[in-house]
Amino acid sequence: MSRVLVAMSGGVDSSLAAALLVEAGHEVVGVTMKTFCYSDTPSHGKTCCGLDGIMDARRVADTLGVPHYVFDVEEEFTRDVIDDFVAEYARGRTPNPCVRCNSNTKFRDLLARGEALGCDQIATGHYVRVAHEASGSYLLRGTDPGKDQSYFLWGLPESMLPKLLFPVGELTKDEVRERARTLTLATADKPESQEICFVPTGDYRDLLVKRLGTVHPALEPGPLVRADGTVLGEHGGYAGFTVGQRKGLGGGFQEPMFVLEIRPETREVVVGTREELHSDRVTIGELNWHGGAPAPGDRVDVQLRYRAPVVGATVVERDRSLVLELHEGRPAVTPGQSAVVFDGERVLGGGRIDHATSGITSGANA
Amino acid sequence: MDPVYLDHAATSPVRDEVFDAMVPFLAGHFGNPSSTHRWGRAARVALDESRARVAAALGARADEIFFVRGGTESDNLAVIGGHAALSAGGPAGVAVSEIEHSAVLEPAARIETEGRGRATHLSVDPAGDIDLGALEAACSREPTLASVMLANNETGMVLPLSGVIEVAQRHGAVVHTDVCQALGKIPIDLRTLDVDLLSATGHKINGPKGAGLLFVRRGARVEPLLHGGSQERGLRPGTEDVAGAVGLATAVELAVAEQEEHHRALTELRDRLESGLRPRLPGMRVNGADAVRAPHVVSIGLASITDGAALLMALDLEGIAVSGGSACHSGSARASHVISALYGADDRYATIRFSFGRSTTVEDIDRAIEIVPTVVERLSPTEVTA
Repeated sequence: MSRVLVAMSGGVDSSLAAALLVEAGHEVVGVTMKTFCYSDTPSHGKTCCGLDGIMDARRVADTLGVPHYVFDVEEEFTRDVIDDFVAEYARGRTPNPCVRCNSNTKFRDLLARGEALGCDQIATGHYVRVAHEASGSYLLRGTDPGKDQSYFLWGLPESMLPKLLFPVGELTKDEVRERARTLTLATADKPESQEICFVPTGDYRDLLVKRLGTVHPALEPGPLVRADGTVLGEHGGYAGFTVGQRKGLGGGFQEPMFVLEIRPETREVVVGTREELHSDRVTIGELNWHGGAPAPGDRVDVQLRYRAPVVGATVVERDRSLVLELHEGRPAVTPGQSAVVFDGERVLGGGRIDHATSGITSGANA
Repeated sequence: MDPVYLDHAATSPVRDEVFDAMVPFLAGHFGNPSSTHRWGRAARVALDESRARVAAALGARADEIFFVRGGTESDNLAVIGGHAALSAGGPAGVAVSEIEHSAVLEPAARIETEGRGRATHLSVDPAGDIDLGALEAACSREPTLASVMLANNETGMVLPLSGVIEVAQRHGAVVHTDVCQALGKIPIDLRTLDVDLLSATGHKINGPKGAGLLFVRRGARVEPLLHGGSQERGLRPGTEDVAGAVGLATAVELAVAEQEEHHRALTELRDRLESGLRPRLPGMRVNGADAVRAPHVVSIGLASITDGAALLMALDLEGIAVSGGSACHSGSARASHVISALYGADDRYATIRFSFGRSTTVEDIDRAIEIVPTVVERLSPTEVTA
């Protein structure tokens, strides 16, 4: 059996992934990636985020009788994920750092280290499946529709796919917990992590203030306007807003108001009604495909947010960007989020949303 | 195949004699040496005897030996406490070699950053020569505590202490030396080695962890770091670890008695490893090769390796237990402060430190010679062939 590198975060999913591979007879090497350090003072440099995760992963590895190592990827993670996260908010967009991490840091670093450690394959605890066929490998949605994480993995370089294993992709979360309990893994009943791993306070604006300084335009007050330019008031800094957001706009409107668009050049936050929030034409960039890009005229399924339902779309243009015409308008299509393209269960690839427009209004997100 | 442990400079297994000596003091003779009753008296006798045995082995007097909880504590006590005592009479500084253990470097840095005195760093070159001019300048400027280790933990390099002592004594400076790595490998006799303070620890010489000692020559002064008891004559308050002291004494006694023979055996192992690896690892650098070295460490630098942390993991998976610069640095891809001090901050060699002990065999060495080059080759970027 082959030697497999398993990325163990200290959560139940990757714990069970490691356990299943051990059961299957693989030689498992467990690793935890140390991505981020909360503390600023060098003398406390060892008290890091993920420290609990590292300890839990180490315990599980010990229970399974497999080696466990810590990969210090703090530098790479800061450069590729946190810097991008901050830059995207500064540009008035809403980044998805988990997509960025999977596409640009986690798997790349795992693969490089895995090769160094003589591992033939890489496994994680993602709820996603991978099909290895003679014609090539491709990703499929996880079996548990409530947990499916394929949305986060469209950015994986295609060349990596043949090396990947996702042992929990065919299980439901309940099954994962149950099997972890049966195996008496220490992490069997560990709660899900929800927040962004590098935002310790739970409020990303704290991080922006720390990284951008309080005088950055993204954090300074600006006008709150309607799509037609009518000024409604002032907001406290556009980085605090995301498209579709209702909270924090103040009251006194005739009907519920939502953020439609953020215009960093003028620091305007554009608001409008639920109806105005819908878009039916989406342009996506930073494209990545598994098994070839769809061509103009192709009908695909596209998912525009994590956990959002897919919507049918037709490819209308393909250059360095891809333009999709949605078969029905979707609310809050947000620049910076991912548009993931599917053919049924199969992940075809995707990109980052650059802008979305609507036939109904002229509210173009620049 | 059984894995091979070549990391004795990180820590070593407790030897049978030490283990057997300690056991009676863990449960049976468990008394507190400060107690008046028979339990206390039995413990007190064992503690006194241990002190006398350590003193005899090192050429010291019993009242010059203080038991502490390991090498790091001993170094901290010597540097911070020694400097504090020196400062009682006015401003004083510290002077440390750049390749000291962090347990010396960081206390020295704190003394400076906290405004308690100047810290002078003495450069060391790969041949082991230390900047005595800088030491001279520091010592002639103000009362100084000089701390220079006898053998370096990462490379095994032996520093020329006699030169340091000569300069220091001319200016009335206090000299501390850390012999955690040197003890048992090279001769140490405090009747001839004229230092004021000396730090040693048990677990590098097949003794227990958490048991160390500070030698304070009669007349030298050290302020305590902890307060709240008269144990160790107030220099290290806290109920004594009698089993630890007994174990430490046994380990020190045996290490000193066997030092010459051990040196011979270790040198053979070292030469075998170096000559075995050299033809199979082209471009390998032996760190500190031109210096006098303690025989239990071989530190090699490899230009072809960019990820030193991965190298250690890969070797572990193949059953070879070694470390990078030192155990404290494993997991970090950065060059250690020792390698940076010797070869420059932009040195790009990855380090593997092999270190041997009593249980190391020729077969262990041959396994390393066989396995290490194959792993190194796997981790080295393949040359592009057109």
